[in-house]
Amino acid sequence: MAKIIHYRSKCIGCNICFEMQPEYWRLSKKDGKATLVNSYLKKDTHILEIPFESIELSRQTAEHCPVKVIKVF
Amino acid sequence: MSFYKKLLLLSPVGSFESLHAAIRGGADAIYFGVEQLNMRTKSIPTITIEDIAEVAQTCKSHHIKAYLTLNTVVFDYDMQLARKIISECKNQGIDAVIASDFAVFEMCKSLGMPLHISTQANVSNIESVAFFAQMADVVVLARELTLKQVAHITAEIKRRDLRGISGELMKIETFVHGALCMAVSGKCYLSLHEKNASANRGACVQNCRRPYQVTDLETGNELLIDNEYIMSPKDLCTIAFVDELMESGIDVFKIEGRSKSAEYVYATTKCYRQAIDAVLDGSYNEEKINHWLQELDKVYNRGFWEGYFMGRKLGEWTKNPGSIATEKKIYLAKATKYYPNINVAEFLVETGTIRAGENLMVIGRNTGSDKIVLDELIVNGVKQAEANKGDKITFPFPKPLKSNDKLYKIVAENG
Repeated sequence: MAKIIHYRSKCIGCNICFEMQPEYWRLSKKDGKATLVNSYLKKDTHILEIPFESIELSRQTAEHCPVKVIKVF
Repeated sequence: MSFYKKLLLLSPVGSFESLHAAIRGGADAIYFGVEQLNMRTKSIPTITIEDIAEVAQTCKSHHIKAYLTLNTVVFDYDMQLARKIISECKNQGIDAVIASDFAVFEMCKSLGMPLHISTQANVSNIESVAFFAQMADVVVLARELTLKQVAHITAEIKRRDLRGISGELMKIETFVHGALCMAVSGKCYLSLHEKNASANRGACVQNCRRPYQVTDLETGNELLIDNEYIMSPKDLCTIAFVDELMESGIDVFKIEGRSKSAEYVYATTKCYRQAIDAVLDGSYNEEKINHWLQELDKVYNRGFWEGYFMGRKLGEWTKNPGSIATEKKIYLAKATKYYPNINVAEFLVETGTIRAGENLMVIGRNTGSDKIVLDELIVNGVKQAEANKGDKITFPFPKPLKSNDKLYKIVAENG
């Protein structure tokens, strides 16, 4: 199992993660930042476990994040 | 007393250090952004909504005005945050919001928040000013206008008795100092295309500020470019003609630099404060201008020019008449290491060929330019006649170099 990690506080709400993977991401109307759907919070990071077949696209999403607040492990 | 009208000096604030620097420098007003809805989101630690109260309070206690910039592109999901920010500004007594999006204009109107039109709206003519008079009191003009064009707009405001929403004559704000954009402000997509980092969401990665080499893909030949920062304009500096700016009827002098350091904010604010006051009391002269230029030179700048005010077009600055008019430099290598104990520099050859005895030039970030001739060439630790792409060369150099400092070959202009 792989993980997406989102350092949400530095998110600038550019929307690219939602465009690339709407199954994992939403844009919060409350604060305009991206939200990793169904993730759990550990310290200041949001974590979501994903299946192996999602790794490649998730990595691309992370690469496209302009402020590099998405990581895939 | 002079005929100049009272004007505001508006300084950039990206941190509390800068805020206090602006106040000490003599600013009449400051502008700042919060959260991700401002044009410096990526480059500075964000001031938060919770900080608005402290900024407002600090400004009030020093009797200066505070403006909040909310001038990014905004999307549907940003509405709640934008409204929250503007409401907080209203509650805390921030003097105005600087914006460029129609949704934000509407929010300001509905919340009773005074509105200034951002330079991101590219206001370049009097009819646009007249349009925005229905909702705002101040318009920040596009940075690409000449002084004549600015003066025409301010004259027309008077002639038409063009009043803003508060009933006062419309006020014109222009940038007088700081960085300029290679694109018309607010129209640049370079960063977005290359890194998906939208300049218009405050995430500009400043691709334009990097050196580029231009290669002919058909032949592999590299074009000679005298100024390697081919997309990076020098910074705007108007300290030498502040009197002319004041005569043109501008109401607000704005200094760029929310992502710059506190000492930059202090130095620029202080110099322009003194220059404005000197014009007002009749003591504005060459000697003072030279002193201010020296002071401004000490803080962050990419070199200065007068911007578009005097009618020059972008690109003229890339030629530096009289500097190396009889010589050209060809890029060869970048610095990879410097050994301070033995004063030896190591360069990685990235293109071309270097031979012993050739005229070379080292251009270092901290060292300026130094012409050198290498009598012998040490290539990959061994004495050789020439070095080619991929080789590492070492030679004694008296000043510490930083990595990515450059090595060039000097040739005659027709060579």
